[in-house]
Amino acid sequence: MTKITYKVTSEHPFPADAAAAAASLAAYEALDDVTKARVDQMVDWIMKNCLWQFHSRAWDRKRQNEGILGIAAKLLAGEPFTPETPEDRCYWVDSVTLQRAYQATCPWLATMSKDDIKALMKELHARIDYLTVTGSLNEELTDKHY
Amino acid sequence: MPYHEFDCSKCLPERKKHAVTKGTGDNLATALPLGYLNTIPGSISERGCAYCGAKHVIGTPMKDVIHMSHGPVGCTYDTWQTKRYISDNNNFQLKYTFATDVREKHIVFGAEGLLKQNIIEAFKACPDIKRMTIYQTCATALIGDDINAVAAEVMEEMPDVDIFTCNSPGFGGPSQSGGHHKINIAWINDKVGNVEPEITSDYVINYVGEYNIQGDQEVMLDYFTRMGIQVLSTFTGNGTYDGLRAMHRAHLNVLECARSAEYICNELRVRYGIPRLDIDGFGFEPLSQSLRKIGMFFGIEDRAEKIIAEETARWKPELDWYKERLKGKKVCLWPGGSKLWHWAHAIEEEMGVKVVSVYTKFGHQGDMEKGIARCGEDALAIDDPNELEGLEALEKLQPDIIFTGKRPGEVAKKVRVPYLNAHAYHNGPYKGFEGWVRFARDIYNGIYSPMHQLSGLDISKDEIPTDRGFVTQRMLSDAKLPEEIAKSESLRRYTGKDDIIADLRKKNPPYFTPIVKAEAAE
Repeated sequence: MTKITYKVTSEHPFPADAAAAAASLAAYEALDDVTKARVDQMVDWIMKNCLWQFHSRAWDRKRQNEGILGIAAKLLAGEPFTPETPEDRCYWVDSVTLQRAYQATCPWLATMSKDDIKALMKELHARIDYLTVTGSLNEELTDKHY
Repeated sequence: MPYHEFDCSKCLPERKKHAVTKGTGDNLATALPLGYLNTIPGSISERGCAYCGAKHVIGTPMKDVIHMSHGPVGCTYDTWQTKRYISDNNNFQLKYTFATDVREKHIVFGAEGLLKQNIIEAFKACPDIKRMTIYQTCATALIGDDINAVAAEVMEEMPDVDIFTCNSPGFGGPSQSGGHHKINIAWINDKVGNVEPEITSDYVINYVGEYNIQGDQEVMLDYFTRMGIQVLSTFTGNGTYDGLRAMHRAHLNVLECARSAEYICNELRVRYGIPRLDIDGFGFEPLSQSLRKIGMFFGIEDRAEKIIAEETARWKPELDWYKERLKGKKVCLWPGGSKLWHWAHAIEEEMGVKVVSVYTKFGHQGDMEKGIARCGEDALAIDDPNELEGLEALEKLQPDIIFTGKRPGEVAKKVRVPYLNAHAYHNGPYKGFEGWVRFARDIYNGIYSPMHQLSGLDISKDEIPTDRGFVTQRMLSDAKLPEEIAKSESLRRYTGKDDIIADLRKKNPPYFTPIVKAEAAE
């Protein structure tokens, strides 16, 4: 009897940028143990408690990650930020939430300099981009439409 | 990739990529099942169709509308039995079901005339209702009935009515999710921007992806109103047709179920510049964080804090009473789409249970990303499961309870696994602080049901113990509890009323249809 199989194919070849994904993963793996543990702890809080990183398209996720983590980095480094537009304001509320959560759950932040905090937030941003965009296994991220 | 292959699905090798186990160290780049693909032939899916997703999930919760299915009468099946999206106008949209009752002769000769006749009859039968939605079905889509043209013709003849047409026949996507998408886009294309609302507050939101299951929307509306926020529209539970035409005037879109309604939020952002804020209405901490964020957006965070403090003081001791008794219980979180991520972390943190499996019937990979991100290690994540896979998972995981829909839920009962209705709830609402306690109470009642214990005895062969009396829930749940917790005076069981929505409606803020008026209209 002929075996009938049903081929499931995606309309959106994936990953979209394998080289970027590999580079991002290599950069994360090259981090020292302390930084890696700190990044992991911060990622875990975002993954368990936030939804903003999961918009449906790659470009949208990049926009969200940049908007929210960019402002959060400033706030954690003690720099002022004044939202100018409704969109900024929307990012800002998630950034403030993140700032408060990290200050409450990551006591080691208080021992870090401004520059070190900014560097750490840069690594966090790269890791979130990897998990939600470049390294994501979600095949719908490259759909052209919402 | 840590795929999980079910024994029962070995004859369907393609199914293997639809289930993964989240192992130690796994993340979203290493563990994610496929999703939102056509169901594999031979797999008896639990999905609904695209018509169901458009009409029964999103369209019909609109309360002041005649919802007309253009097709065979059977397509309206789900309206009566399984939906619990109530409304404050005496549940008009639940109580009255309309279909054009297309028969074989109409398939041969066309059904546009039948549709027009039905529209006019329905408006005459309900003279207070001036709004209608028409839903295309498989049969009428295939014969090419032009429902837009018929609607336009009627609107010209009856200038006081307005009709929305939804072209989402059952075959229009792999699952009901295809219908969610279609109706979102159709609504913003055809109706948003057609009505200018009266703005009564400095803080105006659309509450999107909320369907008022057993009153969820009304609970949240109460919080928003107490914060001084005007809810211009709710998409779509307890929402009004004209309110939803005015969505373009909100300052913020507050999005609850991103699975069913992110599309309209995204479009509102692109077309009207209204930002999208995703929130969680379930769980004390996620809800508190959500109210704070909305408050922060408008510069009124202190109002949110006041509500959070009041509600937490009132309900936390009751939540904790249940948490002590639910600690370590294994649950399968098997809803349709969004609740797998709304609940996954919150129930572990706030009720002490362990999520051993998440599944989604119609979710996309994005939903699974959220679900897997939020659940712990060893959880089995399944996309579009079939009934046999569900049974095999229950046997393997031995959960204490599952949260799912009524059809798979009844199957679970047969293998003696209690279930709670994750779609329509058992004794909701489950949103809000009090609602979350009601959810905990329902879980407790399900797991420790004395009837459930008794059902394990087969009177045809088991020895029935006669030396002891009936074992109550409390005797079961407290057997191993430390005495200081079992007899704690600071913790208490749920003390709310059976119906918590009636009191909310009596508050009668301006956006509610007065009850007296709604009843008089009956």
